[in-house]
Amino acid sequence: MRSAVLICVKDLKARFRDRSALLIGIVVPLGLAFIFNSIFSGISGDSKAIQLGVVALDRGPIAQQFVSQVLGAVGRSGLIAVQQESSVAGARALTAKGTLNAVIVIPADFSARVEANQPASMRVIGNVDSPISSEVARSIAESYAADLNRVRLSVATVVAHGGGNSGAPSPGRLAALAAAAAAPVAVRDVSAKSKELDQKSFFAAGMAVFFLFFTVQFGVTSLLEERSDGTLARLLAAPITRTSILGGKLLTSFLLGVISMVVLVAATSLLFGASWGNPAGVAVLIVAAILAAMGIMALIATLAKNAEQAGNWQSVVAVVLGLLGGTFFPVSQAPGVLSKLTFAAPQAWFLRGLGDLRGGGISVVWLPALAMLGFAVVTGGIAMTRLRHIAEV
Amino acid sequence: MKAIWIALANLHRMFRVRTNIFFVFVFPMVLILVLGATFGGSSSPRLGVAAQGSGPLGAALVRQLDRTPHLRVESVSSPATLLTQVQRGNLTAGLVIPPGYDTAVRAGHGVAVRYMARPGQSSQQLSETVRGAVAQQAALLGAARFAVAERSAPSFSAGLAEAAALSRAVPAVSVTSSTAGTPLFSKTLGQFDLGASTQLLLFLFLIALTGAVALIETRRLGVSRRVLSTPTSPGTVIAGETLGRVLISVIQAVVIILGSSLLFGVNWGQPIGVAAVVILFALVAAGAGIFLGTLFRTEQQAIGVSLLLGLGLGALGGCMVPLEVFSPTMKRVAHITPQAWGNDAFARLVGHGASITGILPQLGVLAAYAVVLLALATWRLRRVLSA
Repeated sequence: MRSAVLICVKDLKARFRDRSALLIGIVVPLGLAFIFNSIFSGISGDSKAIQLGVVALDRGPIAQQFVSQVLGAVGRSGLIAVQQESSVAGARALTAKGTLNAVIVIPADFSARVEANQPASMRVIGNVDSPISSEVARSIAESYAADLNRVRLSVATVVAHGGGNSGAPSPGRLAALAAAAAAPVAVRDVSAKSKELDQKSFFAAGMAVFFLFFTVQFGVTSLLEERSDGTLARLLAAPITRTSILGGKLLTSFLLGVISMVVLVAATSLLFGASWGNPAGVAVLIVAAILAAMGIMALIATLAKNAEQAGNWQSVVAVVLGLLGGTFFPVSQAPGVLSKLTFAAPQAWFLRGLGDLRGGGISVVWLPALAMLGFAVVTGGIAMTRLRHIAEV
Repeated sequence: MKAIWIALANLHRMFRVRTNIFFVFVFPMVLILVLGATFGGSSSPRLGVAAQGSGPLGAALVRQLDRTPHLRVESVSSPATLLTQVQRGNLTAGLVIPPGYDTAVRAGHGVAVRYMARPGQSSQQLSETVRGAVAQQAALLGAARFAVAERSAPSFSAGLAEAAALSRAVPAVSVTSSTAGTPLFSKTLGQFDLGASTQLLLFLFLIALTGAVALIETRRLGVSRRVLSTPTSPGTVIAGETLGRVLISVIQAVVIILGSSLLFGVNWGQPIGVAAVVILFALVAAGAGIFLGTLFRTEQQAIGVSLLLGLGLGALGGCMVPLEVFSPTMKRVAHITPQAWGNDAFARLVGHGASITGILPQLGVLAAYAVVLLALATWRLRRVLSA
């Protein structure tokens, strides 16, 4: 045990002295999270209200009802900012520039045509690069048009059947009755608590777990270096058990992982306000992620001939798993099989665990943690049997 | 002549390692494919719908939603799964059409569908689109129900059939839509086009920087000292090293360009223009890589800094999110990177069908970068070699 600790302390000192672990474990992930975050903040469309213009060329009651009641309600939600514009040309220019995402134009004779039961139409002009906002604007107009059509159709259906039980009421009275009828289907809002990491936390966590797989390499791979440098043979000749040597190397990996993650959690929280969530839950996920990373990287190291080859293969696996696991962009939100395939990477479980942690209590971390421990046990188990073999040289 | 041998030795060292082939050629191509498949094409919001047991009218509502432009409707097996998917951000929002929807509507009961949204704006805003589709179906349902209430239709189904038939004849209130403004991206841009050129620049630069590691190894093993002990001038060594780096970049670019156009049908634009951008960018990257290689003593340090600079400058230069969507200030900041100028050049070549004469300003800036970085690299390398 004592010799394992001594080996570990020696390795840690060496890693801090050549600054490589410091760079890969802390500086690079922190720097990249910071750069990504400053570039991408303000680009993500999720923070902006839709800027909707309305040009009411019609002062009639049906147009006014749309502007004051429908758009009034829409504007109060805070999701869509409604502003009145006086001319179509002006509103179109603002839309072309992107100041407005879309404009709804109510033509001058709209109310008159609707009341006279003639074809009538509203116009939506959308900014060419805001298809979704334009679609929202179109839907608002479409909902109102659909409601006007419901009244027309109601009257027409009753008239077509010969007026029904109340004799032959005037179409005007029927229209008033139909307009007063309750909508047949209501839409009830259910708010879903978000289990999604916000952008800052996503980049912080993504970069941290991506580079974790590189950071833990330093411990296990050094066994291969010691072998080629001939220091492993000397260690084995000394009265130290093989378990102690292995233990020392694994302890180095684990501690490097812990130091890197703890510093990154603290630094990203303090420097740019990433929020990782419940500390106990985060700790469980971090420990599980470190073990999974150690298992996978150790297994690859045991398959390689020398430290250089091990390093190369480990980089390939770490990069591929990192990308697949959604550390650079959220692969789980991609359509198709990719969203399932992502869980072949422990990184995806780590990020999902952190996401779930913000929508629920600490109990939600057990499943992702167990999944990561599964990776650790399987890969680490195979690696251990092979490592003992290496340490026999 | 000797410079060429040194260059070829560099090439040999690079491609002898199999994993390098992966990072230089395979990985960028996989990324072009994945990014194109994931983000290329439409970025329509995804609405999950749980409509099990909602009957024919439920199915009709789903069809109505399906017809909505810029909306992808995905069927989800249960409301519980739907809620989780919405919470995790895998779906923009969700709609539950309850079991027995059809029966309840026909019986004249009040029915409610449930709209699930996360706190984010895009999730909430989609509610209007869903309400629009519901209102369109409700126009028919409301008419049928009214006819039953007024005792003019014998049954709801008869009223619904009548309303559906009439809806084609009754003059309708409609909504027409059009667009305004010039699009940021050319409409001719294919699914993989944008990702292909941005990933090419990202990886040309990244690989050239990590190539600095080879230079450190050369020095550490004393190879450069031995070469200089032969009748070879430092100038020849520097020329050879630079040529080697440029060759690696050019080969990488040729393979990625040919591969992506053959495999994914990527359009790269006028070949002469593309060649000019690639060669100048390869010179810039070679200069940066060699300069970096002279600044560090160990390979691990160089790798760390290369990743930081390669990915960081790439992101800033519009290789991860297109420059077109940057804010005006960020766009100005972005143009301190050579990647931004390269991306601008490709945007013109690919998106606007420009020829080499249309990208002369960008080529000029890239040439200036190349001159400055190669001068720095030569100066540093000369000092390091003579030390």
